[in-house]
Amino acid sequence: MRVTTAGYGTLLGVLLVAGLPHAARSEPYLAVQQGYKCSSCHVNPTGGGLRNDFGIIFATNVMPASLLPSNVPVWTGRIGDFLRLGGDLRGAWSTTDIPNQDRQQGWELEQARIYASMDVIPGRLSLLVDEAVAPGNAETREAYVRYSDPDRGWYLKGGRFYLPFGWRLQDNTAFVRQVTGINMLTPDEGMELGLETPSWSMQFDYTNGAANTGLGSGNSFTGQVAWVQPRGRLGVAASYTQSDAGNRGMTGVFGGLRTGPIAWLAEADCIRDEGYPEGTRTLLAGLAEANWAIRRGHNLKLTGEYFDPDKHVNEDQKTRWSVVYEYTPLPFLQLRAGWRTYDGIPQNDLDNRNLLFAEFHGFF
Amino acid sequence: MIVSTLALVGCAGNGQGLDNNGRPIGESSGGSGPLTADFTSIQNHVFTPICTVCHAGANAPQGLRLDSTNSYDLLVGVRSNEVSSLLRVKPGDPDHSYLIQKIEGHAAVGARMPFGGPYLDQATIDMIRQWITDGALRSPTATDKVGFTLTAMSPGPGDVLAEAPANLILGFTHELDRTRIDGSTVELVALPVSPGGQARAVDATVAVIDANPSALVVTPLVPLQSGRYALQVRDGAITDLSGAALLSGSSGDSTLMTFQIGTQP
Repeated sequence: MRVTTAGYGTLLGVLLVAGLPHAARSEPYLAVQQGYKCSSCHVNPTGGGLRNDFGIIFATNVMPASLLPSNVPVWTGRIGDFLRLGGDLRGAWSTTDIPNQDRQQGWELEQARIYASMDVIPGRLSLLVDEAVAPGNAETREAYVRYSDPDRGWYLKGGRFYLPFGWRLQDNTAFVRQVTGINMLTPDEGMELGLETPSWSMQFDYTNGAANTGLGSGNSFTGQVAWVQPRGRLGVAASYTQSDAGNRGMTGVFGGLRTGPIAWLAEADCIRDEGYPEGTRTLLAGLAEANWAIRRGHNLKLTGEYFDPDKHVNEDQKTRWSVVYEYTPLPFLQLRAGWRTYDGIPQNDLDNRNLLFAEFHGFF
Repeated sequence: MIVSTLALVGCAGNGQGLDNNGRPIGESSGGSGPLTADFTSIQNHVFTPICTVCHAGANAPQGLRLDSTNSYDLLVGVRSNEVSSLLRVKPGDPDHSYLIQKIEGHAAVGARMPFGGPYLDQATIDMIRQWITDGALRSPTATDKVGFTLTAMSPGPGDVLAEAPANLILGFTHELDRTRIDGSTVELVALPVSPGGQARAVDATVAVIDANPSALVVTPLVPLQSGRYALQVRDGAITDLSGAALLSGSSGDSTLMTFQIGTQP
């Protein structure tokens, strides 16, 4: 391994011993702040997980508040010419107040993940594995083979992978990720055809459908097209899942815009779900987020979210507000602290809870 | 920045005219009253208000939909996707029910549920445990669970065979709980030749077919002679994975079928 200083080696060693590296939760605001595409920093064109050469350079030289001396060797992500490794680890302390209930608080290892990519034919044929190693036993989140045509920009992916739909947020509990059911906890199995050009990113997927897992019936079509510009991006996504338990159709629009030091993200999704006792429900979920890059290595995030569980029922909407401060003191380490408040119908205590949390995130 | 973000997000509902789960009053019991150890109460207090934020619709994680229409049929007696050796809910056995392992946070795979917390308090978990211990019934008054039936057999009922069969096959509508199947589950009986005679048990092995877990094979350990035979089942001995028992036939007795070898009784 071409790695580390003594200090850095210690940090990475601790992460390795702890059960290892972190998870693939992406930070799309970084892409908007810089005007990058997801594929600029990640091996996966749809973002998240294993970082590519540029992603490692970005994490080393752009993200942190303090740069390492130039003579300090750091992790490059590569072992030899063909193998790339990476990882993520997140742990957090949190305290939750729910009306009329005892407070819950404590430490928790949220997730640890290891990634490996074997570039069998560099730039053309690669195999990628994303393994969640904690909590619990190892679980394969992604495992796919991808063939790319670097000249024309298209690729074909087959295996198990995350579906593209809207912003691939780091927070899997965001309404837009929970309600759509497309997030970094719910990989699907099938094929993806993608095209990456300087201004466009698009994916079309034919998969089993997450809800058909283990049932052997049904299928899912998902598509996403994003127009990516240096000042921001605009995208649309759609998905239709056929299932014996009721079909689901989803459409979404999402975008990002950079205005000075602030990167804005927004997403709105509409879900039509069959299979409820009364028939079909239409659900709406939305997110608006502002990320203020106060200075190098410091980011203040304000997020407002909206969820209407049934458009035909009045006064049942929920909102969620978050204020999060993110501090990246040095490469491959981020500290986060935040406050989150839920607001829902007064009859439901859980929908009116407050959460305070502090999180550490090590990655490489 | 704050004003702009506020403008993009709406306000929460005031809950007027809705029950605790945000549904119109009167649509269901809506989680009113304290949680009790029955499925309807657990559905209304736990599954609907907490779990269905993610476990609903055609993208439900692990294919597990926990809305009131689907949850029971996808929980009770159904194998977990993450640990296929365990049932999501094994009636009578909360410790080996994957649902309990996930909400208590000691499942072999993945994060504790509800994902990201807050987690269920111990009193709520204990109530779900009690429901499972009590048999994980669909409703407090249900006693038959989801019964199942015999759908196919070889030889067929009343068949007259020229030669003794090597095996007898019974096919059912549900996958069987093989842990409850042994040599005493089904009895092969040689029926008396004349009225007043004694029926005689024939030594045989009984096993679930590996390739078809909803079928049983009965293999006589001795050559069958000419005569009439019956396959009889011990009451309640054959159950499916949810613990539901084989429904009695129209005659209501324990005889699954009779057949004859040779033309002379």
